[in-house]
Amino acid sequence: MSSSSNNLGPALTRRPQAGRSQTSAARARRIAAVAFLAPAVVMLIIVRLLPAGDALFSGLFHYSLVAGQESWVGLQNYVDLFTSGRFWNSVGITLLFSIIINPLQIAIALALAVLFTQRMHGSVLWRSLVILPVAAPGAVSTIIWGVIYRPDGLANAFLGALGIPPQPYVISTGQALMSIIILLSWGGVGYWMMFLIAGINDVPRELHEAASLDGASAWRRFWRITFPLIRRPLAFVLVADTISNFLVFAPVQVLTQGGPQGSTNLLMFDIYERAYKLGDLNTANAEVVILIAITLVIVAVQFRLLRSSE
Amino acid sequence: MTDFLPQPRGVAGIVRRLAVTVIGIVVGLLFLAPLLWSLTSSLRPGSEVFRFVNPLQWRTFISENFTFDNYVRLADTPMGLAILNSLIVSVVTVVVGLVICALAAFGLSAIKFRGQGIVFSIVILSFLIPFDAIAIPLANLFRDANLQNTFVGLILPGLGNGLAIFLLRQFFLAVPYELVEAGRMDGLGWWGIFYRIYMPLARPAMIGAGLTLFLFQWHAFVWPLLIGSDSAHTLGSIALANFMGRFSVDYGLLFAGAIVLTVIPLIIILSLQRYFIQSVSTTGLK
Repeated sequence: MSSSSNNLGPALTRRPQAGRSQTSAARARRIAAVAFLAPAVVMLIIVRLLPAGDALFSGLFHYSLVAGQESWVGLQNYVDLFTSGRFWNSVGITLLFSIIINPLQIAIALALAVLFTQRMHGSVLWRSLVILPVAAPGAVSTIIWGVIYRPDGLANAFLGALGIPPQPYVISTGQALMSIIILLSWGGVGYWMMFLIAGINDVPRELHEAASLDGASAWRRFWRITFPLIRRPLAFVLVADTISNFLVFAPVQVLTQGGPQGSTNLLMFDIYERAYKLGDLNTANAEVVILIAITLVIVAVQFRLLRSSE
Repeated sequence: MTDFLPQPRGVAGIVRRLAVTVIGIVVGLLFLAPLLWSLTSSLRPGSEVFRFVNPLQWRTFISENFTFDNYVRLADTPMGLAILNSLIVSVVTVVVGLVICALAAFGLSAIKFRGQGIVFSIVILSFLIPFDAIAIPLANLFRDANLQNTFVGLILPGLGNGLAIFLLRQFFLAVPYELVEAGRMDGLGWWGIFYRIYMPLARPAMIGAGLTLFLFQWHAFVWPLLIGSDSAHTLGSIALANFMGRFSVDYGLLFAGAIVLTVIPLIIILSLQRYFIQSVSTTGLK
């Protein structure tokens, strides 16, 4: 803070007591800072914190059609959710979905990051092909894969070429969730791979050379050298991927509407249906609070992971 | 290109390199296939979209007689207007959002003041709460404020972007503080330091942050679905999804729409790839 004594302007010419100039300079800095920060902070409060607070608040009320107004019900909406089969089915589906999609995407992203950091011909080109789908908005990959999954679509043509009979994909209880996982992974893996490639490229080359001279195999070098050194980007990818997969919505809304028989009723879609199809905004808001709580827990775990890897 | 593993020399090295290349090509083509198929299908006459799909053949992915007919027709569908709407929303978000986020990042890095920690916590907290999670309560608030079916309503949530602020702040923190002091000595106010010293230096970070802002809007689905329901305020992604909901789907149009919505961000990402990867790795290593 010594810079304040260098300030030109009234503070310097008047030369008041040092203490007072310090505070007035500090106040001037503070006013400037408020001016610079105000637009963003106001925006973030309005579009992020306020709705989160509103969900928390609104979740404690119930709108009665008979009375035509909201009344305080305390935690009743949460009790309703926790005793609702539909809610638990949605939580179960979301968990099942997460347990499959996150390890799958991260394992593939890591394997491809390792592959594309090997010495090969045209590495950048082949790598770009994997990154290409990242450009496609969620609605686009949903639509493209929706057509691929048609009975006369590309997926069955591929299986046919391999001698496998046609499959029902999104219209089957047993395959709908997996079909969504595949379409999301097509668009997602390339994105996470970019972080991991950046991490792998930061691993000092000399470590590999030294280990190689000691006769360590490529497999051993990966687990002993690369893997420990990319724990930070890996932890970031793990958590960011998990959060984004908690919020999956477009494929469910466009392709399956949560079905068949609730088999793809992920939490985001359940909230959407509760709010707009069932018209129960208050309970939907309570469910939003649960979703945010889960997200924040995951973020807390992220910071744990990041800290322990220091 | 990176070669972090020491390579065996001689024949073994050549064979290994060839094998790795083959795997790389196969993987790359598998990821390319859906997009290539969409592109080819979008260039076929409408009646021929599914003609060469099954059994699988080279004509599945490469068309002999292609036509831009679907793209021309696209302009007369709701999709044409929707893509224009998406462009308006994304471009305004980038321009206004960059100003707002850069000002905030400057306030959080160049100016030292009491309470900085609190403001920074608000920024961090607001980007820990995923936007889609609070989209439904926010849509209720926006409807109460009569912001549904307005461009203001569509654009507003994209302007204050915690991640963009964070990226710019990281960059600004690396600017030597002596530059600020020198600027003060030369009689520059805070605005002058921001505009004359920080902005010219921050170009790469601004491009990275601009991409973040652009993709947030271009890839949005939940928000435009909730807030832009009339035809004048429908965005590209929503219009495309609406195509699918129709009784008889015009697949030529569908694929043309999908390709336009993908190619626009793709061109931007590819031409700014350097900055994109830079910003991606900054986040990864935070």
